[in-house]
Amino acid sequence: MGYFVEQIIFGLTVGSIYALIALGYTMVYGVMKLINFAHGELFALGAFVGFFFLVTLDWGGVFGPALAIGFTVVFVAGATALAGHILERVAYRPLRHSDRLAAVVSALGASIFLQNVIMTVWGAQYRAYNADILPKVVWTVAGQSVSLIRLFVFLTAVAIMAGLYLFINHSRLGLAIRAAAIDQGAAKLMGVDVRRVIAVVFLIGPALGGLAGLLVGVYYGQINFNMGQLYGLKAFTAAVIGGIGNIPGAMIGGLLLGLLETLGDAYVSGAWKDAIAFVALILILVFRPTGILSERVAEKL
Amino acid sequence: MGRRLPYFLLIALAVFFPLFGAGEAKAADAVKIGLMAPTTGAWASEGQDMVKVLNILVDQINAKGGINGALIALSVGDDGGTPKTAALASQRLVTTGVVAVVGTYGSAVTEASQDIYDEAGVVQVATGSTSIRLSEKGLKRFFRTCPRDDEQGRVLANQVKALGFVKPAILHDNTSYAKGLADETREIFKELSVKEVYFDAINPGDRDFAVPLSKIRAQNPDVVVFTGYYPEAAMILRQKRDLGWDVPIIGGDATNNRSLVEIAGPEAAAGYYFVSPPGPGDMKSPAALEFFKIYREKHGGLPSSVWAVLAGDAFSVIAEAIKNVGPDSGKIAEFLHSGLKGFTGLSGAIAFDEKGDRIGEVYRLYKVDDKGEFVLQN
Repeated sequence: MGYFVEQIIFGLTVGSIYALIALGYTMVYGVMKLINFAHGELFALGAFVGFFFLVTLDWGGVFGPALAIGFTVVFVAGATALAGHILERVAYRPLRHSDRLAAVVSALGASIFLQNVIMTVWGAQYRAYNADILPKVVWTVAGQSVSLIRLFVFLTAVAIMAGLYLFINHSRLGLAIRAAAIDQGAAKLMGVDVRRVIAVVFLIGPALGGLAGLLVGVYYGQINFNMGQLYGLKAFTAAVIGGIGNIPGAMIGGLLLGLLETLGDAYVSGAWKDAIAFVALILILVFRPTGILSERVAEKL
Repeated sequence: MGRRLPYFLLIALAVFFPLFGAGEAKAADAVKIGLMAPTTGAWASEGQDMVKVLNILVDQINAKGGINGALIALSVGDDGGTPKTAALASQRLVTTGVVAVVGTYGSAVTEASQDIYDEAGVVQVATGSTSIRLSEKGLKRFFRTCPRDDEQGRVLANQVKALGFVKPAILHDNTSYAKGLADETREIFKELSVKEVYFDAINPGDRDFAVPLSKIRAQNPDVVVFTGYYPEAAMILRQKRDLGWDVPIIGGDATNNRSLVEIAGPEAAAGYYFVSPPGPGDMKSPAALEFFKIYREKHGGLPSSVWAVLAGDAFSVIAEAIKNVGPDSGKIAEFLHSGLKGFTGLSGAIAFDEKGDRIGEVYRLYKVDDKGEFVLQN
């Protein structure tokens, strides 16, 4: 039983990272019906911007751990939001009224471009966050060891997602985003500035992805320029499973994928972990082709 | 027609030029040697180090007037660390007319290129590809300066036993290298009548290893043998510490990289064992010291692993062969099999057996100390 609880905790941590990244895919798709393939690279960019502040500038040594993390969160979110904004202006906005396929190709191109920029700036080797940014505290709860930093990752991800949920459901801008997701044309007629909505989505999504990158850097310690590929693929899958375009769906999809991977690893075999997780996901899609929470897409976001 | 004539002349010249004065004129042409390395992709840092090492060696030879008066021209092909790209890179290198090729790092990547070089008659000297089957195919022109996995597995299993461990857990990462080494180590454990309590894989590229660690912990081993690469090994060390578990871990040569300590942090890395050919910092021959001095001046540090140095040695044996028998692939292969005697490269004495494998004990045991230094144990 204790073993099972431990695995659930592991699964939720892994899944919360997937969920954070999946939100970026799903928000952009919801509003623009475009899969932003460069999102995984924005996630990697977040990890590297965090690396710049925490390791290159050593903010942990300058401000102390709590303040350093706080500042870094703000700067990483800001930098990736800015990158997302530029990406939208350069790679997507000019193609808004052209073929969907053109936008997809542009997204793929942006992904390769960003990945190579990261490699050129920070190098091809694995980069490491200091191991002592967060204190190493391990609690033993009911015979299970739970490390502070793992809890930190999970709680941060949950807090960010809760904030986003409140923003989308209880603010005017959130309402505009939901309206644009349902029907861009109708939203325009009702006075919603769709261009602004798209701009906002391209600030929030990349910022969330960037923060996920920072969490991965702080927790796992190792980052490299192509880390966005695997995480991007998994998060995209999570978004599809949850029902792409649906914000709570992305959260549920991410956590579910994390749990499936973890339990497959824990109870069957590590070598078959991904195969098990993806077979389960295919089964979900067979029975619910549009994802778990898809129905609500038509009514609300 | 008039406009085509110059082209026609050019083509005619290109076709017949090699025939003019075959003797001296040909000797003055540059000898082309290829380097196939992962200069992009997941192993890009290894590949880029290989390019740096070879460029220095080529410059050294050319500064002395080349080999027997012929300059060396290095053609670099990027294999991207993937078999698919390697197939393209090797075809391209072959068409540039290289007599021999150095490379490459990953076993699966080398495997994709072996037949292409063999069919073209080009000598291939692999640098980091330790998978056994590469040299079991009867290819007469395939060599490697790195040892094979069975050699490494033998050393690894024996060291585990010598260190007094009796209940090992084995963890690999499903790559052909790591699985090969894990299988081999398990075989030798059988011979040594050591029974492993766990045998499974992780996925390379993953970052969260809490699940495999908790599974292994449930089997209560006294040592964990991890046969994968350093990025994963480092995160395993770090997460093992997060779990508050103090079992020792021993790994293979793919973890011999300074980044291991950077990623894991010195505290989590302390006490980690690995077997490996000696790293760049432990190569103390005069030639090696001189080479690394030049390398340090040029690039501000040592190559981050031994593999780039083994690429340098692969180049040096090819150069040695060309010096003795001339730039002919067939003769180079023959010379490397039987003529190479008493040759010392940066990593020590080099000779090849009939399969093209390197002869001689190369592996050493290392332990990471409290400061994160790799300390040679024996």
